[in-house]
Formats: sequence, C-alpha cells, structure tokens
Amino acid sequence: MSQTWTSRSQAIGVSRRDFLKGAVLLGGGSILAACGGTSALKSVATQVLKPKRGGTLVAGLTGGTASDTLNPLAIVNNVDFARVAQLYDPLVVQNRFAHPEMQLAEEITPNSDATVWTIRLRPGVTFHNGKPLTSEDVLYTFQQVLNPNSPGAGAPSISLVDLASSRIVDPLTLELHCKSPFSTLVDALAGFYFDIIPVGFDPQNPIGTGPFKYQSFTPGQQSTFVRNENYWQSGLPYFDSVVINDYADEATQVNGILSGQVNAVNLLSATSIATLKSNHANVIISDGGGWTPFTMRVDQAPFNDVNVRQAMRLICNRQEMLDLVFQGHGTIGNDIFAKWDPLYDTAIPQREQDLEQARFLLKKAGQENLKFNLVTSNLAQGVESVASVFAQQAKGAGVTVSLDTVTPTEFYGSRYLSWTFAQDYWFYNPYFLQIGLGSLPTSPYNETHWDDARYNKLYNEGIGTVDVTKRAEIAHEMQVIDYNQGGYIIPYFPPVIDCVSSKVQGAVTSKTGIPLNDYDFKRMWFE
Amino acid sequence: MPVTKVSQLERQRMHPILYLLRHRILSGIVTLFVVSVVVFTATEILPGNAAYAILGHSATPRSLHALEAKLHLNRGIFDQYWTWLSGLFTGKLGNSLASNTPVWALVKPRLINSGVLVLVAGALGTAIGVLFGVIAALRKDSWFDHLTSVLALTVTAMPEFVVAIGLIVLLSTLVFHILPSVSMLVPGVYAWQKPSLLVLPVATLVIVIVPYLYRMTRAATIEALESDYVEMARLKGVPEWRVTLFHALPNAVAPVIQVIGLNFLYLAGGIVIVEEVFNFPGVGQGLVNAVSNRDIPVIQFIVIVLATFYVFVNIATDVIALAATPRRRIGR
Repeated sequence: MSQTWTSRSQAIGVSRRDFLKGAVLLGGGSILAACGGTSALKSVATQVLKPKRGGTLVAGLTGGTASDTLNPLAIVNNVDFARVAQLYDPLVVQNRFAHPEMQLAEEITPNSDATVWTIRLRPGVTFHNGKPLTSEDVLYTFQQVLNPNSPGAGAPSISLVDLASSRIVDPLTLELHCKSPFSTLVDALAGFYFDIIPVGFDPQNPIGTGPFKYQSFTPGQQSTFVRNENYWQSGLPYFDSVVINDYADEATQVNGILSGQVNAVNLLSATSIATLKSNHANVIISDGGGWTPFTMRVDQAPFNDVNVRQAMRLICNRQEMLDLVFQGHGTIGNDIFAKWDPLYDTAIPQREQDLEQARFLLKKAGQENLKFNLVTSNLAQGVESVASVFAQQAKGAGVTVSLDTVTPTEFYGSRYLSWTFAQDYWFYNPYFLQIGLGSLPTSPYNETHWDDARYNKLYNEGIGTVDVTKRAEIAHEMQVIDYNQGGYIIPYFPPVIDCVSSKVQGAVTSKTGIPLNDYDFKRMWFE
Repeated sequence: MPVTKVSQLERQRMHPILYLLRHRILSGIVTLFVVSVVVFTATEILPGNAAYAILGHSATPRSLHALEAKLHLNRGIFDQYWTWLSGLFTGKLGNSLASNTPVWALVKPRLINSGVLVLVAGALGTAIGVLFGVIAALRKDSWFDHLTSVLALTVTAMPEFVVAIGLIVLLSTLVFHILPSVSMLVPGVYAWQKPSLLVLPVATLVIVIVPYLYRMTRAATIEALESDYVEMARLKGVPEWRVTLFHALPNAVAPVIQVIGLNFLYLAGGIVIVEEVFNFPGVGQGLVNAVSNRDIPVIQFIVIVLATFYVFVNIATDVIALAATPRRRIGR
C-alpha cells in the first residue's frame, strides 16, 4: 500500500477531530499539572475565540549570536529558527503533533520503489516581491542545499537526492529522482532546513513566501518583520509586525515579561516557571521530542563491551533526573530516539534503574570500580546539571564519573564526534531520518561510532520500503537493537519551557522540541 | 614655567609632568602591543575557530572546509596577525568573521553606548562620592557620617549584579513598574536618545562605585583637617570655611584623583556584567559575543580600544595627581 502524503497529513494535521484530540490532551495535561494549570486551559479555550488583528509582538529569545543569519538554508541557532519561520515556508512541515503537514506542496508522492518523487505545488502562492512560486524555485532551493561549495544545513539528510536527473515537469510540478530508494523523503523535507527560496535568492534581501516580510536585521541584536498582506493562508497572520530581540540570558527574558516589555520568550529553565506563573504569564511546557543523550563510543574501551553500555543505562534513575533537573517536567526515555514517530515501539519494556544488575554486568565485563571522564557542556537546557546527577547515580554501582566541562564552542570544535563518553543535543527527527544523520557509518554525526551490519542492512531495507506497515516492522527490529546494544543513553526527553505574556493568545504546545511551536507567531494574537 | 638659566643636571631632568607624559606614552604603546599579541595568541589557543563557532552542531567536514576557506582561516597565524596589525594603522579593520560586516560599523554604536554609560555613571558617581565624603568628614561622628558609612559598607559587600537585580525588582518588575528592565534599543538609535533606558544601568554603576570613593574622600579630608598646617591656620585665626576650602581640601585631592581614575578603569570592565543583566548593547556585551564566536578581528579591536582607555586613564590620573601635589609638580 503506497501512501499518499496529502491524505495522511490532512488526517493528522488539520482535521477537526485531531484538533480536538490535541485540545483534550492539553487540557488533560494541565489538570495533571494541577497548580497553575489554568493558563494552559485558557489557551485551549481561547482557540475557539475569534482572533483579533493588529499589534506588534515583541519576542526576547536566547540562543542567538553575532553570526545570526536570515539564510534559511544555513540556519544554526534558535533565533535563526525564529526569524526564518516568519519569512519563509517549507514544502512540508512537522506540525505540533510531530507529523508532516503539507505547506507549499499540495502533494508529495513516491513511485512504487521510492526512487522518484513527484512534488505538486500549491497554486497561487507568491513571494514577498509578487513573483509566483514555481517548481523552478523549488529545484533552485535543492540546488543550493546540495551545493558542494557551501552546502546547506539540510544537505546530509537528503544526500540520496540526485539533482542531475531530477526535472521540472510543469510550473507547479517537480520530479525528484533519488540515487537509491528513499521512502522517508517527506520526513526529511519536514526537517527545518528546506524553506523554499526564489531563484537568484540574495540573503541581503531575504524574500520568501512566509507570513511576515523582512524589514530590518542586525545580527545578534534585533530583527523586525511586517505582515505579508498576500499570505497564502488567508486571514493569517494576525500581528501587524513582529520584533525579535536576541537576549543573552534567562533573567533578562523573565524581567522582560514581568516588566511588560516583551510578549514571548523561549527556552526557559524550570526554575522560572513559578515566578512567571505567579505574575499571570502563560507558561507553555511542551513535551518535545528533542533529546539530550549520553553518548558512548562503541569502538573504544570500556564501552566497546556491550555489558558496560547496558550497565551505564541501568545506572540511570530517569525519573529522578527529570525531578532534579526539570522539576518533574518532560518524559522518560527508553534509550531509543524519535519518541513521537509513529514507528516508535512502545511495546519495548521501560528500562528502570537496577544498580545490582549494573554491578553484575560490570563484573562480567571485568570493569568493577570503573572510572572515566564525562565530557559535558552547556549545550541545551539541563545538560550540565544532568551530568552531575548521572555522576552521583553512578556511585551506586561503584562507578566513578569525573566531569570534564568545556564550552559549547570547544565541544562542537575539532574534537566533536571523538569524545569517548559525552553528551549531545538533538532536535526531534523521525526515526529513519535520525539514523541517517547519526547512527550509520556514513552518517555525518555518528558520535557513538555505531556500525552494526544487521542494523545497516535493516536501514537500507527500511528507506527502500514504501509500505508503512512493513517499514514499521523493520523499525521495530532496529529499535530492539538500539535498546539492547546501542551507544546512546537516552534517559529522558527534556521539556521545552516557553512563556508568553497574559495578553498573547494562540500559543500552543508542540512535540517538535522547537520553542513556541516552531516560533509560530502567525497564529498568535493579542487579546 | 619659563626656565632661562638651568644647570646641565636640570636640563637632563625634564619638567616632571613632561617627563612622566613621555615615559608613560612610550610604555603605553609597548603595553598595547603586548596586549594585542597576548589576546591574539589567547584567542588562537582557545579550542575551535570561528567556522566551528558559526556552524555549531551542524558542522560537517565539508561545510567546515568551505567556511574556513571563505573566512581565510586557513592562512598562517603570523599572516593573520600581520594583516590585522597593518590594517589597524591603515584604518582597515576588516570584517567580522561572524557577521561579515565591517568591524567598525559593528563596534562603533556599542562604543558610543558604553561611552555614554561610563561617562554618565562616572561623572554622577564622582560628584556624589566626593560630596558625601567631604560632608561626612566635616561632620565627623555626626548621624550623617554614621549613616553614610554604614550604607557605604553595606553596598561594598554587594556585587553589581545583586544591585542591578535589586533595582529591577524594586523599580521595574515586582514592586513598581516605572522603568524598563531590558534595554531595547532599535539598532541605529543610541542610548542617550532613550534616557529612560539609561536610568537603571547608570544607577547600578553609581551605587557600585560611590562607596569606595566616598570612603577615600572622607579619610583623605579627615587626615588633611587633622594635619599640623591646618591646626596652624586655625590658630592664626583663619575662618573655618577658608581653612576647609583652601588649606585642607587641596591636599586631599591627590588620593581622591587616584580613586576616581580607578573607578573609571573599573567601569570600563565592570559594565560587562551590567550590560549583560540589562541586555544593554554596549562594548562589553559585544566582547563577550565576539569571544564566544572566536571573532578575532572584533575581539582584537575591542580589546585594543579598552586597553587604550586604560592606558589613557592611567596617564591622565597620574598627571592630574601630580599637578595637584605642589611639592612634586615643580622641576627638581
């Protein structure tokens, strides 16, 4: 059964039933949260209110630097993500339920073995300069992403695409050819780095199809965007303009909300929740699919012994980590990534802390009283804190973990991917896409140096299988391998904590792990 | 002071102020050179380069190589240093590695913003510190003296970010909502055009620098007031206001000048934290960003500007202090 992506995404993304399901989930979550849950309920309730037009949203976001960019193909940091979300649209996006939802494409359909994909564009979409969107622009975008002289950030995830044989069928249709079967193309294209730019795009004059148009931009400081009157999603956006400020730290963000200067902030720590809630701000806590694993190099002692790896996983008291670092928010992990992918196998039993078994495995491996360094860095919310929690928990199994703290620049410097035992930070990616990026000998970020013959074979089968049920079976076998032998420890999926001021409506939770539902300011409005 | 006839010995010994100036300017230039070499080497030693910093997690060997070539990072270290040094003298500061915009365009507004902050805070702090110090000394052991001394000690014990957050809580977020907590300047607009944004950062810095200056002024004035020549003047029947203004205070000036100089030096570095708390777009924040981006041209330029400021303030304080000390300002 060959799926058509339109029907699937419509069923998942925009149907009334799913909208209500999401609303119920949200409401249920806030009842569980009990104290201060009214703000979440309120945000559900106001979704049925009629949004109002007008006003300027002021956002204060952390994560930016002086190397901020408006080029959607080269975005790196969180504030980049926020800015390009206003200016551009992708063909397909990961919606707030972490499912692909068509945007500039109306349909993306594979042939029987997923070697040729036909992309049919939405008619009537125009760029900010009035030029209509055509398949030439889409092809140009892919050419820029795969340009060997300045590859885009998305290049590794579509390396199977063969541009030379791809062709334009008509102004709204493009045929994308692949070097080998690539059944997960839609997941890849929904992965943040494929916003469509017009032919001859100039980053100095950034033109997209997005809900807001470019007005000004100072890297590391501030950017302003004004409403796109001709946006293809009629009625959107609601704000007249959006101002995005780069902030250096969380205290500034919280103060900005409290003093009323700022309407939306991102990436907060759990310690700010109480202050903000007591001031009637709307704190939005998402169970994101982003993940901050411990990484073990499976090709280096002592972690080349699977007993040692499993022992490390058994050391983690996962709930305690969430309690200590995120005040209990977030979801527990089971050493398998892609938490929200429909292919994620929930039948695999949840791994719990078992120090006795950990000691037993270490003894079996001849590694009693194991000592090693954990390279940690402030890569994302909670990463450094959980490193010390892990070191503490490891003592219970007689393991001594010394922390080696480095700056993020050093972490991602020339020694990245060579640390023996470290941590990392990943956005949410669907299962097969994530493997292509980090768990194959050919992956650009294979930090655990994972190379398992059976696993590699299954992967190739998986991305060559268009049938979803069959692919799920393959994925499940691979996840059993992840669970029993893998080089990642995934104790939890961290919460994403953002906040909007009380007058902002329409802000929702999201499973993508990108703050504020991928900075979806176009659907927010002032009360 | 015109010198018509001087001995050989005296000619060799220039006027002390000129001699000091010449000596300090020469050693200042050497200092600046050493600073630039040290900072350049230190930035080179830091792990990772601008290409790694810009690409972050998304770096692949291919994209890294492409960007390193684009930023000319594949050149030798001496070549890079020489390009920078020769550029400094020809006015070609180059482009920022991180944002690819000219360094001067990037740093100039930050220099102006920080300059305004330092000058206003320094001037206000100096006036308040000296005034309160003198009054406390004249009214020694009065309630005013006790109160200000205790206050000064309390404030000295608080780091600047505590002061800053205290002011924010009081005047901006939790108690009153009268002043902005975050300096939201539209790029292209300078701090002095939005005075309300300056109030809290300036207040923080003033509170931090006043106590030391206050205590120093008070001590120096008391010492002068209790000295023998003041006693002598009083015994001769000189009115008390004359004693204070013309006999005591001029002799308290030299140590106070040194403290004022130190305060300005502190401000040039201490604004980093205050700029961070208020998100004030100044030179300190710019330096922090540049370091995390390994943006060598920006780091080098800001450091040289700050170092020049240090050298200049040091020379200025010494010259003024010397001029204020009658027994040392005359050529020996």
